[in-house]
Amino acid sequence: MSSTSVSAPLSDPPCPDDSHGDPILELEGLYHRWKGPKPPVLDDVSLTLRAGHVTWIGGRNGVGKTTLLRLAAGILLPQRGSVRLGELTPQSKGNLFRRQIGFLSAGDRGLQARMKVTQQLDYWARLAYVPRSRRAALVTGSLQRFALEEFAGRRVDRMSMGQRQRIRLAMAFLHEPRVLLLDEPRNSLDDDGYRLLNEQIEQAARRGATVLWCSPRGEDRVVTCDASYTLTDGHLERVL
Amino acid sequence: MSRMRPWCEAMWAIIRRDAILFVSYRSQIVAQFIGPLFSITLFYYISHVLTSKTIHSPGGYFGFVIVGLVIVQILTISMGVMPVTVRQELVSGTIERFLVSAHGPINGIIGTMLFPLINAIFSGALLLTLAAVIFGLPLATTAVLAIPVALLGTLAFMPFAFFLVALVMAFKQASSVAQFIVASIAIVGGLYFPISVLPGWIRWASDVQPFTPATDLLRHLIVDTPLAHPAGVELLKLVGFIAVLLPAGLLLLRASIRYGQRTGTVAEY
Repeated sequence: MSSTSVSAPLSDPPCPDDSHGDPILELEGLYHRWKGPKPPVLDDVSLTLRAGHVTWIGGRNGVGKTTLLRLAAGILLPQRGSVRLGELTPQSKGNLFRRQIGFLSAGDRGLQARMKVTQQLDYWARLAYVPRSRRAALVTGSLQRFALEEFAGRRVDRMSMGQRQRIRLAMAFLHEPRVLLLDEPRNSLDDDGYRLLNEQIEQAARRGATVLWCSPRGEDRVVTCDASYTLTDGHLERVL
Repeated sequence: MSRMRPWCEAMWAIIRRDAILFVSYRSQIVAQFIGPLFSITLFYYISHVLTSKTIHSPGGYFGFVIVGLVIVQILTISMGVMPVTVRQELVSGTIERFLVSAHGPINGIIGTMLFPLINAIFSGALLLTLAAVIFGLPLATTAVLAIPVALLGTLAFMPFAFFLVALVMAFKQASSVAQFIVASIAIVGGLYFPISVLPGWIRWASDVQPFTPATDLLRHLIVDTPLAHPAGVELLKLVGFIAVLLPAGLLLLRASIRYGQRTGTVAEY
């Protein structure tokens, strides 16, 4: 991960040479158009996410950031273009592709409301095919990394929005994916939560993962980044 | 086996998740146990005023209809609950977990069907037990053989559930279709009355779905109702329906998910 810092939240960071680091996730010529007489939300979007790099994408509401992340995660399939993780694509060997992906959706959805926090994380670890031998350690580690130990036995629907966001983040990071796709990860987090999130992003980058962070506002971006883009009219533009 | 282990563990995780959810609503458990008792009582007294030469069960109409009630119970819980459950997964965003997990959306959705099916079979067994213990329904000595046949029948029902879930994935709603299917099966599958009383023009529908052989076999094994055809033939019919319908149902489900992923509607609700 580069040491470039974003000191002023709303100013654009100087972008270093980001061509180092092996490519992990390659998005090429992505095109997506929603039903109806609208222009495509993504038109020939290409992006390479490299090992150890943190990338930020901004853009106004409804511009297509979430659609791009969903395509990158394999939740949506490209109408044109491709998503590749080495030899893997979401369409072929999809389960191997998805094992490498950690995804955080925007908002506060996707939790099993009446499960306890530990049950929630264990449930996700099993869905992610985390080997039995590592499961307990990774669940415990996730609780610690996002400071959730004191809530481990509490039901999710009895927790605050910020605490729920920490659980959602813990799930995205739990299985140590090579690709982390985060849609507005700072949502509802307090300062401590934000600090924990940044620590985990730095750690993930250090172990060679790539992180893609999307948010509409510059002030929400991660403190350090290797590349910044804005999405406008279906195209990605490098922020200088 | 090592490749199957994570798959089995993920399926177990989904069953456990749904069990946790189910028992967390205690009134739901009570309702599920009390509901069948009212149905049995109702049909017990109806059977007292009914005499029919077309029913040859040793237990009379009560013995005949009780097996139909078991199947209605299984259909209502499995088919009625399935589309609602998947719709809830869409609304709460938990389906996204399947879409980004190694387990994948199809396995995830099949997993969500398992607890309702186990629950439905358990409820059916409870209903039979109540009928035998409280109302003296004479169970045949072959009743225990109904368990493997019920499991086969469940496999035969699953494609219809896949169809309903595929509708939910594509169009976001299927509850009214589920009610229509259960009501249609109750009529042409002979759940409340023998299919021999149906007019000839509709009777063909009894032969082109798996519910009729499943119901006939279960009735034969549980309350000793005579079969129109040898048991082996009925069993072959059931297996044949499974062999044709199950892959077709899975393909339809896969196609509906892929459609949603391409158009972007998979995450809509």
